[in-house]
Amino acid sequence: MSTAVGTGAVDCDVHCAPAHLDELGGSFDGYWRGYVRDAGLALSPTQAGAYPPGAPTSATPAAREAGLLPAAGTVDALRDALLDPAGLRTAVLSCTSAFPVNRNPYYEAALTRAVNDWLLERWLARDDRLRASIVVPTLDTRAAVAEIERVGSHPGVVQVLLPVRTDAPWGNVRHRPVLEAAAEHGLVVGLHAWGRAGQAGTPSGLTHTYVEDYLTNSQVAAQAQLTSLVTEGAFAAVPELRVTLVECGFSWLPALLWRFDKDWKGVWREVPWVAGRPSEIVREHVRFTTAPAALPPDPARIREVLELLGGTDALLWASDHPHDHGPGGRWLLDALTDDERAAVTRDNAVAWYRL
Amino acid sequence: MSRLDEFGPGERRIVEAGRRSIGVFRVGDRFYALNNHCPHQGGPLCLGRVAPWLRSAAPGDYRVDDEDALLACPWHGWEYDLATGQSFLGPGEAPVRTYGVSVGGREPGPYVAETFPVHVEDAWVVVDTATRGEGSA
Repeated sequence: MSTAVGTGAVDCDVHCAPAHLDELGGSFDGYWRGYVRDAGLALSPTQAGAYPPGAPTSATPAAREAGLLPAAGTVDALRDALLDPAGLRTAVLSCTSAFPVNRNPYYEAALTRAVNDWLLERWLARDDRLRASIVVPTLDTRAAVAEIERVGSHPGVVQVLLPVRTDAPWGNVRHRPVLEAAAEHGLVVGLHAWGRAGQAGTPSGLTHTYVEDYLTNSQVAAQAQLTSLVTEGAFAAVPELRVTLVECGFSWLPALLWRFDKDWKGVWREVPWVAGRPSEIVREHVRFTTAPAALPPDPARIREVLELLGGTDALLWASDHPHDHGPGGRWLLDALTDDERAAVTRDNAVAWYRL
Repeated sequence: MSRLDEFGPGERRIVEAGRRSIGVFRVGDRFYALNNHCPHQGGPLCLGRVAPWLRSAAPGDYRVDDEDALLACPWHGWEYDLATGQSFLGPGEAPVRTYGVSVGGREPGPYVAETFPVHVEDAWVVVDTATRGEGSA
């Protein structure tokens, strides 16, 4: 936690995770309990390598000491570790436990339903500071829409959380009904780091080290998804669509958008529905959580990054509890004016998530 | 610069006029002439491709005009209106409701390429380099 965050902040990426599949309640009927038992399935404690227990990035020392790996499993644990000491106004929960699910689309649908019920019953119902990101199947568009329709109108649900690694980028027209359903329910679409094991982190293929995978989320995968959403006209087709890139970084954005704008001017004819500069579309429709923040320690140089970003309007503060991406987030807050800090740690999120 | 019957529709000529290089384009029965110098960074503008206006109301939707109206510089692909030389850097930022109504709602770019009047006189195509910027005949 940064000492620069005042009380009343909104934390836009707070992880929680059921410790075991047994904790998931009634949505798992007898068939799926038998399937889990017979197949020997379990929730991966590392979320398929996303959060290796020995990696310093997986948990802050305090979270590690409290045993919160891969994330807090109960409201009480999260209250003690984060909600109370940080004096948060609101915490937006991210549960990525179902991201590395196997490729059975029906099991994925059952698991995501169970995770969402767990979020609503075990978390939202127990602390009014909490808001939830629901998860949906990635292999069956109709099932994903049905799940948004089932739980997306719950007043505590503010976001549909999708993995940033996919079989096909989220801008692809095959995914459009999911984006439409989220927008129709007033929900933000969050693209969060990681995804199913076996989904290539890079366009050149699969990787085999954690450090490659870790860097890939916040560089290659996130940029590809953002480029896809703009280029394929997701925001033209769904004007109410709001997207947050969660745990994917943001300081890479100026270089991408400069090139995107430049090349669009020359090849717009291929995508005439991109009805304005890509940077303008991103500014209107996309936000970024502040963890990880790949920034230099010098505040003057952070101001240069912010100038390239066009200010702080796109930034939503996140602790990413329990993960530990280093001091970049604290350096960012220290480099902000009081007004900017209030916006980044609270007001931007209140407006974006309609809190 | 050319006999009319030797300059067919869809063709172009690059001609030298003193120290100037000028591109002359025939679209249907209309002629356009532009300085072969892109005002962006000086590329050989008139060697670029020509294309019609293109509009879209939604992803996957294309509406293309019949006639070529824009010339793209071969260096960066930036397009210029053949008739006025006005640069055009992709669709404007007008709200969706104005789509498909007219060319209006598009955002003019920051550059204007030099244009010259073109006349047909006694079966000859004549480019007037003495006066500038008055469009085409």
